[in-house]
Amino acid sequence: MTPVEILEKIKTKFPGVASTEAFGILNMETEQNKLRPLLVFLRDELNFDFMNFMTGVDRPTENIIEVVYQLFSFTTKASIVIRVKLDRTKPEIETVSDIYRTAEWHEREAAEMFGIVFLNHPDPRILLLPENFKGQPLKKDFRHPNMTPLPEVK
Amino acid sequence: MAEKLPASLEKLNTEEYLLNMGPQHPSTHGVLRIILKLDGEVIKDVVPVMGYIHRGMEKMFENRKYDQIIPFTDRTDYLSAVNNNFAYVIGVEKLLGVVVPERAEYLRVILAELNRIMSHLLWLSAYGMDVGAFTPLLYIFREREEIIAMFELITGNRLTHNAFRLGGFKYDVPKTFFEKLEKFISHFADNLDEYETLLINNVIFKSRTVGVGVITKALALSYGVSGPSLRGSDIKMDVRRDTPYSAYSKFVFEIPTGKNGDTWDRCEVRMNEMRQSLSILQQAMQGFPQGDIMAKIPKIIKPPAGEVYTAVEGPRGEVGFYIISDGTEKPYRVKMRVPSFSNLSALKDMTVGFKIADVVAIMGSLDLVIPEIDR
Repeated sequence: MTPVEILEKIKTKFPGVASTEAFGILNMETEQNKLRPLLVFLRDELNFDFMNFMTGVDRPTENIIEVVYQLFSFTTKASIVIRVKLDRTKPEIETVSDIYRTAEWHEREAAEMFGIVFLNHPDPRILLLPENFKGQPLKKDFRHPNMTPLPEVK
Repeated sequence: MAEKLPASLEKLNTEEYLLNMGPQHPSTHGVLRIILKLDGEVIKDVVPVMGYIHRGMEKMFENRKYDQIIPFTDRTDYLSAVNNNFAYVIGVEKLLGVVVPERAEYLRVILAELNRIMSHLLWLSAYGMDVGAFTPLLYIFREREEIIAMFELITGNRLTHNAFRLGGFKYDVPKTFFEKLEKFISHFADNLDEYETLLINNVIFKSRTVGVGVITKALALSYGVSGPSLRGSDIKMDVRRDTPYSAYSKFVFEIPTGKNGDTWDRCEVRMNEMRQSLSILQQAMQGFPQGDIMAKIPKIIKPPAGEVYTAVEGPRGEVGFYIISDGTEKPYRVKMRVPSFSNLSALKDMTVGFKIADVVAIMGSLDLVIPEIDR
């Protein structure tokens, strides 16, 4: 299946998803409430059975936090990137860990690094950070006393 | 129980209990802690606890220039430094639109495959120790040392090579390298057969591993398990074949798979993978082209704004880099997709119902590297 064919199939089922192509990979933007049905559709109908990773991207200038899901199809060898924009002041999204089991740990990581709240997550504990750690380190405005800027080399 | 117990034992109750394994435990091969919920010897639940060596790599990447990041990638999975370099540099090269000379591509493949063999050999010796066989280690480190010496010849380093540069290599290979490689190829296949007889096909080893830690096809895919651990479950997925990168499309090789998805299958897949790597090495050495070793890349690396995800097949599975560039000298965001992270997340479904001693065997068969998980 070519990216164009995949796109057409998704467009018929989910009108209103925006999409672009970069380096041969489909980039697709969707909304919070459409994410779960879209992922189920991709997994069951279009054979996207493998989630490479999911993560967040902080964009303070636009006041959003982007959530990125990268999927791969073992059957058709196609890749697709799904992205959802969340409000940076209150980033909340439904968990997808029951659709792709690997998302459980990736979501835990994204939650502690970006402060995203994953609703209905089965195990919402911290994953990598120390227990008493304050702040979300991968946010762009994160500051820590131990962080010193690198010296400029000329 | 038909047999009547003495009165003093009849009053005993049994209950489930928690056992802490690690963070300092020889079989976790790093600083990983596992909380086991046990009923006698039978495992009821497994909860991995990690992050003991979390260094905030992804944050560090955001504050470094593109070429300064390469040595950091060595230090995530220190057993496959070359493959981590590989995934990162092809990502940045894709953003830059740089075409790497063929000679550099071939050399990259040679180093990546040597690195795969080196990593699998360390796994094999350590796994032998995990299940109680000490002897293989003494044999295997002989061959591993040969590979490390070759890496030392090219890069000057033994484990964290920092071998790759954006656009190719800094230095060409010394002439003596190919003599050493040829010598290695000539005897390694025989050694491999010996190790397989010594450990993998050993009756005691088989009784420890066959039928233990089974993971089904669907579950393995859903957990994002990759590499030999996934291929053990009879799924022919390999980044080198599915989305060929660098010069891999020019080589003929097979993708070994297991049948049942148990611990023994994962071991057997790794053994066969080394044979395939050896075949790739042979082909790459025969067709090694002349020419430049470095592409023309700008002195100040400023990729145009955009994003890219590139993955390579590391010894443990899919190593991927998701790089977002905003057009400056430093990346806006870099996410590392590491194989051990996803492989470990499937541990619970593999171990529940087995005995406590099997945890060591199952975990070893996943070939975990903890700094890679914590990053």
